[in-house]
Parts: sequence; structure tokens; C-alpha cells
Amino acid sequence: MSNHQATAQPSKLLQKIIILAVVAVLAAIGGISFRNQRLFKETVVSSDALTETRWLSDYLPSLKGTYSDTPIFVYDSGVEGGSVLYMGGTHPYEPACSLSAFIMMENIKVEKGRVFIIPQASYSATTSGILGNAYPVSFDIKTDWGKSTFKIGDRVTNPLDQWPDSFTYIHYPSGQSQAYQDLRNLNRCYPGRPDGTLTERVAFAVMELIRSEKIDMSIDAHEASLMYPVVGTYVAHDRAMDIAMMAAMDLSATTFDMKIEQSPGSLKGFTHREWGDYSDTLAVLMETPEPFIDRIVGPLTEDLMTEGKDLFLSFAGDKGLTFVPYSLETGWPMRTRVGRHLSGAAKVVEYMGMFFPEKQVIATWPSYKELQELDCGHFLHDPATADPDLVFKI
Amino acid sequence: MILAQTIVTYIYYIITAIIGITLLKKFFKREKRQGLVYDLVYAYCLVPFILRLLQIK
Repeated sequence: MSNHQATAQPSKLLQKIIILAVVAVLAAIGGISFRNQRLFKETVVSSDALTETRWLSDYLPSLKGTYSDTPIFVYDSGVEGGSVLYMGGTHPYEPACSLSAFIMMENIKVEKGRVFIIPQASYSATTSGILGNAYPVSFDIKTDWGKSTFKIGDRVTNPLDQWPDSFTYIHYPSGQSQAYQDLRNLNRCYPGRPDGTLTERVAFAVMELIRSEKIDMSIDAHEASLMYPVVGTYVAHDRAMDIAMMAAMDLSATTFDMKIEQSPGSLKGFTHREWGDYSDTLAVLMETPEPFIDRIVGPLTEDLMTEGKDLFLSFAGDKGLTFVPYSLETGWPMRTRVGRHLSGAAKVVEYMGMFFPEKQVIATWPSYKELQELDCGHFLHDPATADPDLVFKI
Repeated sequence: MILAQTIVTYIYYIITAIIGITLLKKFFKREKRQGLVYDLVYAYCLVPFILRLLQIK
């Protein structure tokens, strides 16, 4: 061995160790960020109408201890009437849905019947972001007492909780082939099964809640891109069509444009189809416009999430390529999207009571007009001054 | 079925560990492609395997 080779070997090893150390530091920085996102909790101050807190694992014990177990908040008036389920967070990258559930929880008053609220239906999906999409992990809402922070999660169950994906997804029980990644999409897994994948088990537990609590109306809140036809729309199961139709006409005449579509029989695994087919509930899904998830928008910033203003999308809007009106001046801010969900839910509940008096639920929460006037933060309460029994970190 | 899924997941983690260890071994000792760029590529490729094994990402 020459002298040159003898000195080159230790320096090469040192070089490798330095590279490994630098990469380890970068991995640690990224890892801490991912870990923080995994463990982050949102804070909600429930109204004093809260009567009980349950967990999804109460309806399917195998979910206990998993990242898919999620709380269910029950508001029981004690007066006989109907029952309503409001569910946000099926797709956590559509955060106006969870936020509308939180605002509902913070301000709800129930005079007749029962209201069940699940703010983070796909909890595991709140613990990660979409692979390949660079966007903030959270957004802030300004309140009268400071700010409150909310997550922007993924569309599907975190791969840390359900992995690997199969090459194809065969929906149970229909046997329909679907996109492979939809095996982790809660809104493709209904009615679920008790011994299925984690996502199928979440779907089954929600079905069990609906069936065992005899929920009369179940509402699943979503957001959609503006270039997707089913945006600003109710999608209703066959038996809920009359109610949703009346609610859409009423809202369109008095408050905001709301479209209506009947749930197609061939769309398997969706809430608006399977909730209605596998229980007696009246199933309705709602979509609000969320520019953040349109494919053609520019940088995915916190402002885009909260204000919904994007130059590229405005070009599409000018050319009539969006399925709801779009202008750069107004965008689609969070207060509008949350308000649409809150009034959209209130309206179908109201009409259910007209169509079926025995199922009437009388409950109030902030409306679209109030949200437009006062914004989301006004309806969020300060956890520091609230009754500790009503403060939840979830 | 839950048991079958659990077994598949464990197998997946074992495969992840094997690939990670192989990459680490090749990072330190390989016969071809010994330049600095290849060191960087091997080190970079290790990251997702480590993060997955540690249940971080």
C-alpha cells in the first residue's frame, strides 16, 4: 500500500461520517416537524349544552388506543324528539368542516331532541399532510382574545396507521374496484366492517353509532375544488332528497346559492349512499368551495386557506371554468365556507322537522349571516377563562 | 383479517429495515461508484427508511 492510499482511507471515512451527520441533522429537523404535526391537538370550548362525551371506540372496541379513535360530543335536550349527527373532518385537508363543527360545539343550544357532533371523523388523517403537497400544517383564526390554531391534515388515513396499500381496493361489500389509495379514504369505505382495515373499522363504527343511536339525520361536511362540478352542493340519499331539495331552494332564495344532487346508486363507499342504504338515517353530504385544493392554484399558503384568493383561479373563473362564481376580490374566505356549512346543516334539520314532525330537532348555532358579519373567531371562546370541564384538547 | 393485516404490516417494516441496513452498509463499503455524489445519494436515500422505522413519517 502506498503512503497516498494509507492517508486517503481515514479521510474518506471521515467524509462519510460528516455526510451522515449532516443528513441525520436534516432528518431530525424534518422528523421533529412531522412528529409535532402527529401530536398537535386542537382546542375547543364546548357550550354548556354538552351532556356527554363518547368515543368512536365505544361503538367498536378494536379502535381503542389507535389514532383513529375520535371523540363524539352529545348534546341532549332531554326533550323527546329526533336526533342529528353532524360530522366534520372526514377529509382533514378540508378544514372548514372541522372548524364548522367546532363553532357548532362552542355555541350550540338544543331545545328538542339530540345532536351528536364528530369534529374529526378521520382523526388519523389529521396527523399528516398530503404526500408531495407542500403546504402549512395549520392555520390561525383571530379571535376576540388572541388566536386559535387548527390543523390542515391529509385526505386519507396516515400511512403510519394503515400500511401498506394493496394494489387495488375492492370495496366491501359491493366488490366494486376503486382507486388503490381509497382504501385509506374514509368516504370510500362505508359501510365498513368490524374486522377490516383501520379505515373500514372507522366507517363501521360510525355506522354503528348511526344505527344504535337511531340517528334520524346524518350530515357529512366536505369541501371541494371549484373546478369540481359537485361544489356548493347538497348530495342527498334517495330518502333525504325531498328535504335537501327544499333546503337548497330555501337557501338559494334567501341566503346563498346551493345546488342539489341525488346520490348515484353506483357510487359505493360514500356517506350519502351507504349511510342511507345500511341504516334508516336521512343522509346528506355538503360541499363548500375550497380554492386551496384546486389543482391550478399558486403557492399553498395559509392566506390561501383562510382567504381563498388566487390569481390563477381567477383566470379560470373569468373564463367560466369554475362551477361556482369566483373573483379575486372576494375569494372564498373561511367565514363564508364555515357559514355555508352551519346554515346548510341548520336548514336540512329544519326541513326534517317539517316533513317528519316526530323527528323534529330544535337546535341553534351561528348562521351564515352571523359568520359573514362577525367572522369565525368571534364564535370561539377563550379556553383560559372557560369552565375547565368544557375545554377539550383533541 | 386484522391479524393478517398486522402480519403484513410487520413484514413491511422488516423489509424497510433490511433495505435501510443494506443502504447503510453500502454507504460505508461499496466497490463501484465511490465518489462524493454517491455518498450523498446513499445518505439521502436512507432518510425515509429511518423515519418510517421510527414511526415518524
